Amino acid sequence: MAELLKPDLYAQDGTTSAPKHPSLKGGKCAHCGFVFFPLQAYGCEVCGQSGDCLQPFALAGSGTLIASAKVHAYTPDAKAVAADVKPLEAPFVIGTIKLDDGPTIRTLVTDVDETTLKRGQRMMSKLVPVGTGARTIVDLRFIPAS
Amino acid sequence: MPKSLKDLRPVYVVGVGWHRYQRLSGTPYVSLGLHAIRQSLADAGIAWTDVESSYMGTGYLGMAPGLPMLRYLGATGRHLVHVENASASGSAAFRHACIEVAAGMADVALAVGVDKPETTRHPVTGLSSLANDAIAFFTHYALLMDQYAQEHGAKPEDIALVAVKNLYNGSLNPNAHRQEERSLDEILNGRKLSGWLTPLQCCPVGEGAAAVIVASEDAIKRLSIDPDRAIRVAASAACSERSGLDWPVDVALTQVTMADALQQAGLKPQNVDVLEVHDAFTIEEVQYAESLGFCKPGEAVHLLKEGAFNIGGKMAVSPSGGLIAMGHPVGPTGVGQIGEITMQLRGEAGLRQHKGAKVGLAHMIGNGPMCYAHILQKP
Ligand SMILES: [Zn+2]
Repeated sequence: MAELLKPDLYAQDGTTSAPKHPSLKGGKCAHCGFVFFPLQAYGCEVCGQSGDCLQPFALAGSGTLIASAKVHAYTPDAKAVAADVKPLEAPFVIGTIKLDDGPTIRTLVTDVDETTLKRGQRMMSKLVPVGTGARTIVDLRFIPAS
Repeated sequence: MPKSLKDLRPVYVVGVGWHRYQRLSGTPYVSLGLHAIRQSLADAGIAWTDVESSYMGTGYLGMAPGLPMLRYLGATGRHLVHVENASASGSAAFRHACIEVAAGMADVALAVGVDKPETTRHPVTGLSSLANDAIAFFTHYALLMDQYAQEHGAKPEDIALVAVKNLYNGSLNPNAHRQEERSLDEILNGRKLSGWLTPLQCCPVGEGAAAVIVASEDAIKRLSIDPDRAIRVAASAACSERSGLDWPVDVALTQVTMADALQQAGLKPQNVDVLEVHDAFTIEEVQYAESLGFCKPGEAVHLLKEGAFNIGGKMAVSPSGGLIAMGHPVGPTGVGQIGEITMQLRGEAGLRQHKGAKVGLAHMIGNGPMCYAHILQKP
């Protein structure tokens, strides 16, 4: 079984609407219905309610591309790289994606020819290996839906 | 009902000064700041002892760096407060100096921005993120550029014309960080950073200082300040992001803040002669000119190509050189914009003079984002 690099942000299991794609660990406010990512217990960003109002809500790993950028210049912060994980290297692609369940996220996009990425492109989540050693560590990416 | 600046007693900019924005050097911040403040006092024709309150905008100098600088102007012992609001630190310092004078609690106040930027320390909120450590500021704006280009069919090489114009304006400004004119080819052929952005489409972050003195009508009479060189602060608007704004939030927030400022001043977008915006990246200038309501979404690139935003055009945008050429030393940036608009409205901007300028708007975004808009008007 693979280890998740950021288990607080996503899970292997999908949702009913996107069963084959890892879900994102969001939250929903029981008071006003606001859906947010990532899950937090500080308070609702819309109505300000806190406590039991903020419930975990699995967000489908599917959405629509708003924008993308290929990053050419990047120096990883050595202190921020986890043990046994290969540091991110430029070039890589960042996408702004509006999730079908509401929140807009910015995330790494993989398996793409960035010159053909257009807004409105359907995007799906995927776990990709990022480990260097014997442990199998995976992290979340988005890819264009085929 | 809360009041706006215009409901309180009138406030005027009466003195402006700078230390040139430049690459980080061994010059202490104390020298940078004192140079700008002394220039602003001389410009107003008043003494340090006439200044009753000081607001210092800074992001990088550590805890309370103001007094170790101001003490060398003489022993007055008056109120001093430090304002940190990311890129908008100087704009916030200016706003609060204006509010104190407008409220009648001081007759003369100083807003000064000084900085020597270093690596930014971001707040630790206790929450992790998918990829924020891989999204530098230039990638945030490369994403905005991609979204804008696709929505409006704009060409990246047309958006880069913002840098051609602003670097030209900067070549006429002795206080600008970049004072060299550049061709479109030079700009486009630079090292690729993110998306279409190259270094000359991004602002340089160096050191510098800017100072502005604001005063009441009482002070202008009492201190024999030349009333013909005093520029009215007609509006001050400020907002911060809230959940639910349309994406990109920088643009949505700018629309709200600029509209508030125009409403306060009783003016229309087309009344603005001189616009200084947070053009840290080329795409921002195009989007904020549209946010102002000067033209429809998607039209700013066409106006830019026609030269409508040049000095002498329909509306001079970033005549100082903007953040792209004037530079973005953080604390000074918002104060320096007010200084440029003051020079323009006085008719003292020399080679950069936009003829007949009567109304100027200064816009700033601080990472957050927080947004500011100030309108200055020739009485
Ligand atoms: Zn709520």
